[in-house]
Amino acid sequence: MYEWLAINSPADLAQLKNLIPGEYEPAKVADKLAIGISGAVKGVLIERYYVDKDYRSTYYNFYSKMGMRYRTDCIRLHFFDETVSFEQPLHRLRWSGSPNPLQDHYFGFMVLRPTGIATIGRSVVSPDVRSGCSGFIVSAKHKVHLLGYTLTVEGFPSMDQHIDIAVCAHVACWAILRHYSERYFTYCEFLTHDITMMAQHFDPGGLVPSRGLQVSHAERVFQEAGTFPVHVTRSKSPSGAAVDGSFYRQLGAYLESAFPLFAAMHDKRHAVAVVGYEWRQRVSPRNGGVRYAWDEVESIVVVDDNHLPYLSVSATAGSPYSAQDIDAFIVALPEKVFYPADAVDKLEPALFKFGALLGLPAREDTILRYFITTGSALRRFVREHESEFDPKLVDAVMVLPLAQFVWIVEFATEAQWSAGRITARAIIDATASLRDPTPLWLFHGQTTAIVFDRQKPNDFNGVGVLALSDPGHAGFSRMVQNLRSTQTK
Amino acid sequence: MERKESSQMSSSNEKSLFEMIEGLTPLDPTLLAEFKDEMTREVIPEIVKVVEERRLAAAESREWQLKC
Repeated sequence: MYEWLAINSPADLAQLKNLIPGEYEPAKVADKLAIGISGAVKGVLIERYYVDKDYRSTYYNFYSKMGMRYRTDCIRLHFFDETVSFEQPLHRLRWSGSPNPLQDHYFGFMVLRPTGIATIGRSVVSPDVRSGCSGFIVSAKHKVHLLGYTLTVEGFPSMDQHIDIAVCAHVACWAILRHYSERYFTYCEFLTHDITMMAQHFDPGGLVPSRGLQVSHAERVFQEAGTFPVHVTRSKSPSGAAVDGSFYRQLGAYLESAFPLFAAMHDKRHAVAVVGYEWRQRVSPRNGGVRYAWDEVESIVVVDDNHLPYLSVSATAGSPYSAQDIDAFIVALPEKVFYPADAVDKLEPALFKFGALLGLPAREDTILRYFITTGSALRRFVREHESEFDPKLVDAVMVLPLAQFVWIVEFATEAQWSAGRITARAIIDATASLRDPTPLWLFHGQTTAIVFDRQKPNDFNGVGVLALSDPGHAGFSRMVQNLRSTQTK
Repeated sequence: MERKESSQMSSSNEKSLFEMIEGLTPLDPTLLAEFKDEMTREVIPEIVKVVEERRLAAAESREWQLKC
């Protein structure tokens, strides 16, 4: 039932075709792995007769109704580093030379479906072992039960599309919702077949789902799953005009907030889940105005059902596509985010009214980054970085009656950006009305903070200034809490 | 009756921001007025316009077919 394949070079993966029956398409899988998985994977444990809930959902509702006989069981491949070995008689995993637990040597799993084509099923692989992937990734910890060991792998779910009954858009919805159900207790788990059902008002039956989805169907899937999807479409730029920069800044902001995005490419009729990004090595050149975090993005990381997960895609141009091919996205938000990224994106001129008081950098030297987080995550960050702040500012953050979600806007100089530091931070109420003239809770620089009493929104006396002692450092730490940094192996 | 008194008491005991955060001084009213003026005259109309444009663009893209 279990078999160990030692990997000394990528060519060793070709042995999979001798160990796995043809309906799991082992040769193609081996080729994909040889190119896409790093040399840190030194052992693959093959687990046969694996019951995969997602494959079974499609088996019960589709494959079992076909004339050709399909197996009910899957094969699961588990990836390990060089310290792990397998003892056949006792089916025991051994790891040597490291005091760390087994899971520190585990890189995740890949299910193979017995469908003959597009056989890569539910997979959660660490981005650390994906060739060409680096940067920051939206991830969750997934529990794995194997041979009596309970392991976890931190990553983002992926699979190939079934072709017959599900297309790219179904897979992107499935991957995002599976991430949600693993990451947040609030959301239920939906299987592959559930997603095809949720997309329509009626049971689409048979091959109908394979004819594709409209963007509105994907929106419906997210609504059915209990999220509150926001659908953002790129403005059409007249010929020769600049592209809609605000669209990409918002895409980057929601991503930075750890919301994976359902991204649609109209011309390519394709959909992917955007799950990460990588910064440029050098900051972008000055443009005479404020620069945004998106300007500093080198590439985005996508989960595309035609490739292994964590495909790195250029922000500007490249093959098979780039971020510039994305012309709409859906972000599945929790209920209480009423103030959209569009509004935060337009706030900059007003925020600079406080520039002199707060010591904001000059506009042309400012790189602005904004994202959503929770009030509790903000307080945790401030607590963890307490020594950077005047105690009066720490007190203010702790006692402000923040809403559950807040937008954070960080101001950094070019030099600070490279060092992961910032000059100032504005905390905006994510539950504010679009027409709120003071949607802020707090706006602080290094020596001054402005505190807004949102219980008295129209009262001039409800806004106070706090003089802070000079922290004596070159900037506060950038708040990077929402995404996981890859550690290439 | 008892319940009402209790609620009145909690309301009167509610502390203002200035009582909760030590060292707060009022913001220069001119600066706040300038900020609100910028928001009311420029920023909010722009936000409302952009949000409406996005809504219309989204309505169009809902029909896009995805199948790759």
